[in-house]
Amino acid sequence: MTIADGPALPKLIGERVKRREDPRLIQGQATYVDDIKLPGMLHLAFKRSDIAHGVIRSIDTSAAAAMEGVELVITGAELAEHLGPMPIGTPFPAPDHYSVATDKVRYVGEPVAVVVAEDRYLARDAADAIEVEYDELPAVVDPEAAMEAGSATLHEGFERNIAVESYWGGTGVNPETAQPEDDSAVDAAFAEADVVVSQRMLNQRLAPNAMEPRGVVAHYEPGREYLTVWSATQNPHILRTLVAALMGLGEHQVRAVAPEVGGGFGCKINIYGEEYVAAALSRLVKAPVKWIEDRTEAFLTTTHGRDLLGYIDLAAKNDGTITGLKARIIADIGAYEVLLTAMIPTLTGLMMNGVYRLPVVRHELTEVFTNKTPTDAYRGAGRPEGLYFLERAVDMVARELGMDPAEIRRKNFVPPDEFPFATQGGLVYDSGNYEPCLDKALEVADWQGLLAERDAARAEGRIVGVGLSFYVEVCGLGPSAVVPTGGWEHSGVTVERGGKVTATTGASPHGQGNETTFAQMLADHFSIPLEDITILHGDTSVVKQGIGTFGSRSQAVGGAALISAAGKAGDKMKQFAAALMTDQEVSPEDLVFEDGRIQVEGAPEVSKTFAEVADYAYVPVPLPPGMEPGVSEEAFFEPENNTYPFGCHISMVEVDRDTGETKLLKLIAVDDCGNVINPLIVDGQVHGGLAQGIGQAMFEEVVYDEDGQPVTASFMDYVMPRAADLPVFELDRTVTPTPINPLGAKGVGEAGTIGSTPCVVNAAVDALAPFGVTHIEMPLRPERMWRLINEGGQS
Amino acid sequence: MSEPVPITINVNGRKRSAMVEARLLLVHFLRESLNLTGTHVGCDTSQCGACTVLLDGRSTKSCTVFAVQADGSEVQTIEGLADGDELHPLQDGFWEEHGLQCGYCTPGMIMSAVNLLEDNPAPSEAEIREGISGNICRCTGYQHIVNAIQHAAERMAQS
Amino acid sequence: MEIKGEHEFSGPKELLYELLLDPDVLAGALPGVERFEEIAPDTYESTMRVGIASVRGTYTGRVEVLEQAPPDSYRLKIDGSGKPGGVRADASVELTENGPGTTMHYRADVKARGTIARLGGRLLGGVARLLIGQFFKSIEQQVDDRAA
Repeated sequence: MTIADGPALPKLIGERVKRREDPRLIQGQATYVDDIKLPGMLHLAFKRSDIAHGVIRSIDTSAAAAMEGVELVITGAELAEHLGPMPIGTPFPAPDHYSVATDKVRYVGEPVAVVVAEDRYLARDAADAIEVEYDELPAVVDPEAAMEAGSATLHEGFERNIAVESYWGGTGVNPETAQPEDDSAVDAAFAEADVVVSQRMLNQRLAPNAMEPRGVVAHYEPGREYLTVWSATQNPHILRTLVAALMGLGEHQVRAVAPEVGGGFGCKINIYGEEYVAAALSRLVKAPVKWIEDRTEAFLTTTHGRDLLGYIDLAAKNDGTITGLKARIIADIGAYEVLLTAMIPTLTGLMMNGVYRLPVVRHELTEVFTNKTPTDAYRGAGRPEGLYFLERAVDMVARELGMDPAEIRRKNFVPPDEFPFATQGGLVYDSGNYEPCLDKALEVADWQGLLAERDAARAEGRIVGVGLSFYVEVCGLGPSAVVPTGGWEHSGVTVERGGKVTATTGASPHGQGNETTFAQMLADHFSIPLEDITILHGDTSVVKQGIGTFGSRSQAVGGAALISAAGKAGDKMKQFAAALMTDQEVSPEDLVFEDGRIQVEGAPEVSKTFAEVADYAYVPVPLPPGMEPGVSEEAFFEPENNTYPFGCHISMVEVDRDTGETKLLKLIAVDDCGNVINPLIVDGQVHGGLAQGIGQAMFEEVVYDEDGQPVTASFMDYVMPRAADLPVFELDRTVTPTPINPLGAKGVGEAGTIGSTPCVVNAAVDALAPFGVTHIEMPLRPERMWRLINEGGQS
Repeated sequence: MSEPVPITINVNGRKRSAMVEARLLLVHFLRESLNLTGTHVGCDTSQCGACTVLLDGRSTKSCTVFAVQADGSEVQTIEGLADGDELHPLQDGFWEEHGLQCGYCTPGMIMSAVNLLEDNPAPSEAEIREGISGNICRCTGYQHIVNAIQHAAERMAQS
Repeated sequence: MEIKGEHEFSGPKELLYELLLDPDVLAGALPGVERFEEIAPDTYESTMRVGIASVRGTYTGRVEVLEQAPPDSYRLKIDGSGKPGGVRADASVELTENGPGTTMHYRADVKARGTIARLGGRLLGGVARLLIGQFFKSIEQQVDDRAA
């Protein structure tokens, strides 16, 4: 019996481990979609509508088709013979939506024809040479006006441009009539309230702006009847399912690959027309084809986020007890429903319970078509909107009552002994302990000190404000009952010869660092070095099944699947180890993984190395009775519920009296995402989320003019947060594990985006409160702030 | 379309000659003609900085330069930054401090930082933030990038 | 977008009215015009080259003159398009006597689409003023020539 005297391996979960993804990325060696070149590859360019709404009268492709090097020019109507309308992933009624418009255009940027040419410049030239004539229709731009009788309509069968209407609350909705059975409790709560705040608020339209634009390479091999699609997507398995369906292929005939993906933030969940078109045209022209989006196209055609108008009423008693909420929400979803469009705004109302005991709620939601780019998920996807409305309203009540914003929240918290907590909307919060998180945030920020600093600054004539928000969000999407694509995740774990481990995950990352965190988990699980582990993802021919990365689900669902598969592989390793140690009468249940060995717990002298056991598993002589050779296991993990992380954000802003420019002086974020696998990566996720939430509060907005022309379609006009716009964020954590998965991890990808937006706007309103300001619409543009300083009131 | 023009550019220490269309952007020359795909394209209005390279030692957005304008110049890209197997201190700093997530803006960000540290070897936090304001990152909120550049500055000061 | 303004001319309004609606004068006075043809009564087709920033390009368009009330006022409907997108404008022009000279009041509702709207939107006002300025200068010259 030999004992390998390897070094003791430190536990890696919870450690600051440098990312294993980085060496290729910092040396320019990673492969993004645009880096892929295939022999004989042709290039696509799209002719897009430059009007918001109109009927296509004629398309003249002759000049384009005559250009040397142009392989094919095809219009939407012609393409419709090869591609049906695009599928969506929600159960709501939706109008037909073709990859390329067939008869009518409904937003600026909607494709009307496609060119296939030998090179990218030529394809662009040819697309520019296509002449399209339209019979223009009035553009529907304002969602409230869109619902009025007499408004132009986008789609037949959708009267007054209404896509979805829902109503819930009171003491319940009759499912037969969809009407509230008894709404009197809501009206009574408002009638009996000491204070009611009512505010119309816009959670404005944003462009996700992943730095890598979208792109696709499709290669249909006619002899094999096999399609490979490389795409900048967050979910290659969903891509495979939908492309196969639209192409009339089986999933066994399609391989989808998400190579290196340069950010997603929700906008790369949707499967877009360009992906279907690339697949169809590759089959048609019998060559690989590539399309890479430029930034202007991204602004016009990649899904936008948010754009919810809220009429919010919040009722409270004089002691700060919140007694009721009414929310009427109008979602401007743009011209079409794409993959998850109609579902996103439904999350807003559900999350408007926040961290509070809210006795009664009435919620009305209307989703409206307008002549704008379709909306879909954008980091936070429904939650930032809801938490913004709620946390602004709670702040307004506090101001009305002269209460400290921290104390009004403390007063209304769901107490820790009430978890799991069922909300008015029917969600069940898994775990929560809000007060320690609030206290830690107040301590880290030195809340009283901040208030004193603000007052001192005001005494000097400066315009300074502090703000606070407390959010809860929902992570770990599924379960399958609520995610139309399926809400599980899949993982495979193979112990290779020599004791190395290859694992696959369907949670396809695009910056989240799963190759590192998942390897940390396996290193601890098997007690082997990190270097002995490879995590593979993003290729449906390697990763057997999967859903994808969105809704902060990588760790809570994907990680749980990984641990489940690792458990199965570990069990088999222990069985092989026990078989190798039959002379010592070892039972698999007695074995543990320890420093590269499989040993009897507490008796390291009775052991085999991990590598020895792995080698035996592949040359199992003799084969233990009842066992198959090899160690390659897989698992699906179906979460029984979502996870509900929470946190408290505090900020301080100063507004320049002369220019109206707002400067964010401080931002403190204390987040609770349950157990943390890698604090370095969690901090990075929070930082990025904060920047995007702050971006919404201060800088970003997609603007259309009254004709539906987008006027913020480049980085010249759409203001992205830059390094000098942001302060050094101060982070801390509390840890309240979730009982929903074996890791106790809740998810953290979107948290920063959710808490920071209301936090910063609350601070800005506080700054301008001495001028009589009670609400400020986002973003905090200098011009808007200057007017409020000089004219008072609301914006 | 115009007649192809002959150019010779020294890229990462190697002379590269080609016949190019006059309208070909330097970034496309690097990516398409030389297969140096580490330099990325993130916008079409020269705002994002993903395509930043060093042109005769100065950080330059390679989407604003025609390949023919770089004729006779020296260009350094992310692929030419490491000294053999030894990472440049900035590459090391970005790795050490988690200065990247999706990695798309990273090559341009690092090349901008190379120029920044050449001009100012010990920049303050504010100077770093100002110095990289021509480069947009959507993932990191910039904080770890600032840390990464500070990390590199300290290491370069020691050596 | 609304573009409006006024301009003082030295000649009488009858002369101005005549000049402003004379295709030959217009062809010479509009900046960058390569072609200006009457295709129907009071309807003109033209090709015009603009060389400014992101609205650079060749535009073809149609101009209709409506509601003529000589020598006081008229209305123009303009619809032009080129590679960078298109512009549609509805303009009204009023001439009033001002001593020996004439004051022209103009007001146009301009709608842009395509790259012009997206990238050139904020340039459009400036470009329009520039082109209008050049146009007026040229008309001034014609007034002076006639007077001479």
